[in-house]
Amino acid sequence: MKIFVVLWFALAGMLCGAGLTFPEPLKEISAGVEATTVTAEFDFKNETAEPVSLTKIDGGCACMSVKTSGGQMKFEPGESGKIQAVFEVGNFSGTVDKVIGLWLAGNSSDEPSQQLTVRVHIPVLVTLEPKTLKWPYQSEPVTQKIQIRMSGPKPIKILSVSSASKIFKYELKTVEEGSHYELSITPDHTTTPGLAVFRIETDSDSPKHKIQQVFAVIPRAGKP
Amino acid sequence: MNSFLQLTAVVGISALGAGGTYLIKGPPVRTLVCDPARLKPDEVCLSQVTEPVLWIDARLRREWEMDGLPGSLLWNTDPKEDLAIFEATVAERLLETPRVVVYCGDESCGISRQVADRIRALGLAEEVKVLHGGWRTLSEAGRIKGSN
Repeated sequence: MKIFVVLWFALAGMLCGAGLTFPEPLKEISAGVEATTVTAEFDFKNETAEPVSLTKIDGGCACMSVKTSGGQMKFEPGESGKIQAVFEVGNFSGTVDKVIGLWLAGNSSDEPSQQLTVRVHIPVLVTLEPKTLKWPYQSEPVTQKIQIRMSGPKPIKILSVSSASKIFKYELKTVEEGSHYELSITPDHTTTPGLAVFRIETDSDSPKHKIQQVFAVIPRAGKP
Repeated sequence: MNSFLQLTAVVGISALGAGGTYLIKGPPVRTLVCDPARLKPDEVCLSQVTEPVLWIDARLRREWEMDGLPGSLLWNTDPKEDLAIFEATVAERLLETPRVVVYCGDESCGISRQVADRIRALGLAEEVKVLHGGWRTLSEAGRIKGSN
């Protein structure tokens, strides 16, 4: 009977693969202003008594490539390894959580057996507050303002503001050169619904901060 | 009866039970199940989406062009894309359709959440949700051209 019990548990163990032990399943990284990629490395160890095989590692999107050190996918008891994740910063901004899924042999293929998280903090150099100004249909055409603040290590100047709109007038005021600007927008009237786009060109070295956009909207009657 | 025979008997009975279940109930369901009670605050099940909504595809352009949801707009984080064009195109459409659902490849793709944040920041949408299960859910529901 003892042999039977031992065999039974051995079979059960094969059906439910044991995991790898990660001391830090969450890695936080701050991306540099000019960074195009950031790399996170997760150390792990097989602390079980059985070999553990990875069948798949997935970063969840084309922006994240993931691999084990040396491409090794099977780890003997007591063996250590490393998972390297390279994240393409692209047009991401602010704080981004990217989840890496690990599928282990013997576990369900429907869901990852284990998950790791790369939390990337990407600097936002130009903030526009608010991004959109609204005037209710047939309301008073009052002037509204957008605050433009630069927060990078170097000053960022606004070179120009442009818009194709004939309904809205705008004026840029420098509050503090390279650091804080104020864009005032005034509609001629609010009886013509529409959307105007204002393109703000900066002298930022970072291509994704070079052009910014804000919007001015007069919604149709009955729309928010 | 020795241990080996006992084990064989138990495994045999278990296999018979599993086989019977397969024959009566059919194979296991592999489609994504969306439980509204277990959704994250910014997520929505496909069954909860009521049209009209503005569908945003957060995958790569080639994927959107190949099998995106008909009528959807593209907005992703690919550095090769022009973010200003995404913003202006979506802003224009939000005036008519202020409720938005963003989807990407599958559940583990986090891009849709990032894109949803960008759309909220425009300040023009009434509601912006992320589709639980992403494109896979749409495909399984037969909403993608050529899918079941």
